[in-house]
Amino acid sequence: MIIDHPLLGPRDAAEFVYKGDASLIHRPDGMTATDDEMHDYVYLRDNPAGEHRELWYHEQGDRSWLVVTRNTLTHEISKVELARDVARAEGRGQ
Amino acid sequence: MSQPNRIDGGQIDRTHSLKFQWNERWMSGHPGDTLASALLANGVKLVGRSFKYHRPRGIFSAGSEEPNALVQLRKGAAQEPNTRATTVELFDGLYATSQNHRGSLEWDLMAANDLLAPFLSAGFYYKTFMWPKAFWEKLYEPVIRASAGLGRLSMWPDPDTYDHGYLHCDLLIIGAGPTGLAAALAAGRSGARVILADEDFTPGGRLNAETYEVSDTPGSAWAENAVAELAAMDNVRLMTRTTVYGAYDHGIYGALERCTDHLAKSDGKPRQVLWRIYSKRALLAAGAIERSIAFGNNDRPGIMLAGAVRAYVNRFGVAPGRHVAVFTNNEDGLRTAVDLRAKEIEVTEVDARKGDMIVDTKGRKGVHSVILSNGRTVPVDCVAVSGGWSPTVALACHHRGRPEWREDIEGFVPADDLPPGMTVAGAANGTMTLGACLSDGHERGVALAAELGAHGSSGAVALASDETFEIKPFWHVADAKPRAWVDLQNDVTTKDVRQSHAEGFRSVEHLKRYTTLGMATDQGKTANILGLAVMAETSGKTIPETGTTIFRPPYNPVAIGAFAGRARGKDFRPYRLTPSHKWAEENGADFVETGMWLRAQWFKQPGEKGWRDSVDREAAAVRRSVGICDVSTLGKIDIQGRDAAEFLNRIYSNPFLKLPVGKVRYGLMLREDGIAYDDGTTARLSENHFVMTTTTANAITVFRNMEFARQCLWPDLDVHLISTTDGWAQFAVAGPKSRPLLQKVVDDLDLSNDTFPFMACTECSVFGGTPARLFRISFSGELAYEIAVPARFGDSMIRGLMAAGEEFDAVPYGTEALGVLRIEKGHAAGNELTGQTTAQNLGLGGMVSKKKDAIGLKLSERVEMNRHDDLRLVGFKPKDRAVLLTAGAHFLTPGDPADMAHDQGWMTSVAYSPELGHSVGLGYLKRGGERMGETVRAYSPVRNQDIMVEVCSPHHIDPVGERQRG
Amino acid sequence: MAEIDFTLEAAPILGGVDLTIGANRIAECDDLAIVSVATPLGGDDAMAKALKDVWNLSLPEPSVSSQSGEIRTVRTAPDQLFLIFPHATPDAETVVQQKLAGAGYTTDQTDVWVVLEISGPDTLAALERICPLDTAAFPIGGAARTVMEHMGALLLRLDVDRFWLLSASSSAGSFLHAVETSYRNVASH
Repeated sequence: MIIDHPLLGPRDAAEFVYKGDASLIHRPDGMTATDDEMHDYVYLRDNPAGEHRELWYHEQGDRSWLVVTRNTLTHEISKVELARDVARAEGRGQ
Repeated sequence: MSQPNRIDGGQIDRTHSLKFQWNERWMSGHPGDTLASALLANGVKLVGRSFKYHRPRGIFSAGSEEPNALVQLRKGAAQEPNTRATTVELFDGLYATSQNHRGSLEWDLMAANDLLAPFLSAGFYYKTFMWPKAFWEKLYEPVIRASAGLGRLSMWPDPDTYDHGYLHCDLLIIGAGPTGLAAALAAGRSGARVILADEDFTPGGRLNAETYEVSDTPGSAWAENAVAELAAMDNVRLMTRTTVYGAYDHGIYGALERCTDHLAKSDGKPRQVLWRIYSKRALLAAGAIERSIAFGNNDRPGIMLAGAVRAYVNRFGVAPGRHVAVFTNNEDGLRTAVDLRAKEIEVTEVDARKGDMIVDTKGRKGVHSVILSNGRTVPVDCVAVSGGWSPTVALACHHRGRPEWREDIEGFVPADDLPPGMTVAGAANGTMTLGACLSDGHERGVALAAELGAHGSSGAVALASDETFEIKPFWHVADAKPRAWVDLQNDVTTKDVRQSHAEGFRSVEHLKRYTTLGMATDQGKTANILGLAVMAETSGKTIPETGTTIFRPPYNPVAIGAFAGRARGKDFRPYRLTPSHKWAEENGADFVETGMWLRAQWFKQPGEKGWRDSVDREAAAVRRSVGICDVSTLGKIDIQGRDAAEFLNRIYSNPFLKLPVGKVRYGLMLREDGIAYDDGTTARLSENHFVMTTTTANAITVFRNMEFARQCLWPDLDVHLISTTDGWAQFAVAGPKSRPLLQKVVDDLDLSNDTFPFMACTECSVFGGTPARLFRISFSGELAYEIAVPARFGDSMIRGLMAAGEEFDAVPYGTEALGVLRIEKGHAAGNELTGQTTAQNLGLGGMVSKKKDAIGLKLSERVEMNRHDDLRLVGFKPKDRAVLLTAGAHFLTPGDPADMAHDQGWMTSVAYSPELGHSVGLGYLKRGGERMGETVRAYSPVRNQDIMVEVCSPHHIDPVGERQRG
Repeated sequence: MAEIDFTLEAAPILGGVDLTIGANRIAECDDLAIVSVATPLGGDDAMAKALKDVWNLSLPEPSVSSQSGEIRTVRTAPDQLFLIFPHATPDAETVVQQKLAGAGYTTDQTDVWVVLEISGPDTLAALERICPLDTAAFPIGGAARTVMEHMGALLLRLDVDRFWLLSASSSAGSFLHAVETSYRNVASH
């Protein structure tokens, strides 16, 4: 597989480490979250047959976390973003 | 050494002779020969025995699709079984033997299997070896194992080396036949970066085997010119002897290049290179493979594919026979007759389209006659068979593509479900005539180059006329009494296919597995379509309704050695060495692998008989005086930024916000599910600058998780991470004499307890000016420090520390003594952090701050993880002090039965304590904290131990911590 | 001062290895200092200005190094770069930190890495055997991090057939072995 890194261009998937669903960005605050909210965050994932937004880490590269939109049926990658940008855009900034 | 079947013509170099050995007989051939063509030239027809029935078999094809002519190549450790003689390039001194027979090839004792054929048909194994049950292990399996398989491994390590590699191109062209060459010329001239790969050693494909002309020159000469032109282009890489074996995701292709297989000696170079080719586009121009017709006894030596007969005659200058019957259902097969007659070889045409058939053949070790449907017997020494050509669609289907049937060519062609970026051209796409292939290749080359932004002049298309192409479906001689073979390599006959149908195994995937059709090393390249056709006919369906099985890589066999590449023996993975490695080697260290690190586990001294002697001495020396241990393998992360303290406060379960500058704090990290994950110490060097240590094992994942937190969870914290693990040579200096030792080493720094107390840290210098970092931390429980210098000084530093420690009898200690010391002190390590243990289990529940959010806080508060009767880390000592404890032993209340229902916990770590003079242990015990002094049973059925132990504090030594704070 | 008469000596990680394989050379560069500089959040302009003012360096693009005299800089992460320059003593970070005057967070990386300078006519062919990147398409000055034989590496193209390869110092021996094997596998002698 090849991931088209937004800053570095196409790189072999061997340079990356997979984490999982991009919903992991949305960590509830531990002081205010209910048990259910934190449970769902830690344990529950969608498992779509089709487009999936997932987190990849460019460990053998620039150490960026990326949000990769990949079709789990075809492996087609339709979008790659810096996770930090996604996190900010989705309200994780201060 | 005559070559009785050598005839004029061909592309072999007759000015040079090559000598080779076949079954211990010396023979000769020429450069340009394959082993198969040379054997045929020397009159060898019988080359092997079939897999199941041990039937005599000869050369069937002239390419990598060969099902029959599998030989054992080379001898000794370098021998390789199941090598296709049709792809082995002849070299001087080549040594080959036939395989799959007991006794000689001519008189194979296992040929008796052929007489048992009525019992050995499809499903034989499943039906026969069912009973009596006890026979399976003792009788059936050993016998089957002994007779199964084809060639034999040498049972020696492979003496050859293999390599991997990575290539990049705009356009990968697979196949250098007329289509591929035309495409490569067009794309190459346009300026695209092209890789052209072909598995043959001479590019040209069928142009070398046929007598066609291209642009008014012989086809093979045109191919040679095309290759010369391509070789002169910097943007084109021509790879011969290279099989593209798999189409993977995103334009990645796997290819195997055979670099030295055609040479007598590899000269130290890798024998084969497994390439990963990154392409923007790929053009599959893999041509087509001819298939057979099933008729009675159609497997005898001398019965070959018609196209192969033409290849031997036209390319290799070899007559496979002097009187050849040509049995065909298509026009292309008949061209064999024309080519053979041009060489004055006698031909009998049997054209199935006219209703003529061969129904049976005779000749035990080589065909000597054929019996025709009109009852006539014709003496022949070779039969050229053509059942039509099947486009080579495998790579087009590696992404689960399903090819489509085309009636006009009676073959499957790739559908529109190709791997992204792939185009198919020429015969692989069902374009079956030369002129059309050349223009197809050219046009695709131009179009693909343009798509890739290469717009140079592509030159003119090569011209050739289009031969007539006509085929009438004819698959097998239905009323043939004798067995008619479909899959030669796995000995599958038309009868097996019909039986599979009769017994209900009708889907192609079932047919394949029940009969083993297409499951041999050739993957049924010449057999599958024939088998499908017979199944379709038997079940009253069409061929497309019957369908194909799934195509998977590799297209052709790839040696496991090639997949392994360099990753063998010591090169399996990299080694990481500590800065004091060389010194440790000089001083008797015995090394242990911890992850990729090699660490000294103890330093053997003269007179020490076993490892315990060394470890006991080292551990005792630390408690008595001072020891030095290289702890550079601990992960070190440099953390800086305005929000560094806030970040650490969210990463660690315990508070870090108010850690003073110049202090170190122990930190416990939890996973988000509340389970203890990693621990270590973090030092605050300045307001915004921290240095964290992690365990050796988790250094990489802790860094990864912290980057995740930094970028994804709290993207607006100003915090920056960089690993400095390899940058520092760090030594633990531990023991009551560690202070006076280090006081000699540091420059202008007072180490007294008042000015540099427990958990202090500072940047300093040592030995007169070398920068260093000093931390007063203790894993052993003694007065101890860790001192770090830039790694380049590590070797010198250990020597300096030892010199400074000489007056205190300082000793180096390894990981085993480190383990003894931490178990004596009750510090948790990897054995205790199992991925299931909580801070509560560890006895560290009080550390977890409830006043701030941190990774894992919320779920660590779950009720079930905070039960008062849960496991607690406590210490153990044997009631009988002479007994050594066993890690892994489970605890039971005395009198309870030894089962899981009564399980009370388990022993995690044990060591012999030289300080206490007996074995000590750590372990998890239910309500452990409340059970001090209690006696429990420690039971290890695995290690066969059943003893009584006393529950005690995990701090076997100095429970109040006076030593480390002193 | 320390109370013992002993001076620490710096040892090159690979003992200053210098190999010739055919017409190619693999040599350890042991006189280079490497200092990482992280850009504080929101401090990109200040960082660019500091690089320009102090060393006349432009902020490097993600895959290309920039150079001024003997100092080079490579982007190693979106908010981090390496400064690489000849400097023999172990105080490189202090020097850089003082010059940057707060524009970036500095960490000494000199001892974290081994630097091999590889050169010769078979260099690209040798890299093909271990490097997944398209090194032939690298511009002069091009730089990238990747993985070779399971070891993280940073490549910097100095010339047509001359590169720096940086890899972790603890596994420097294995890295040298990998690079050397690649040359031996492709070199004509």
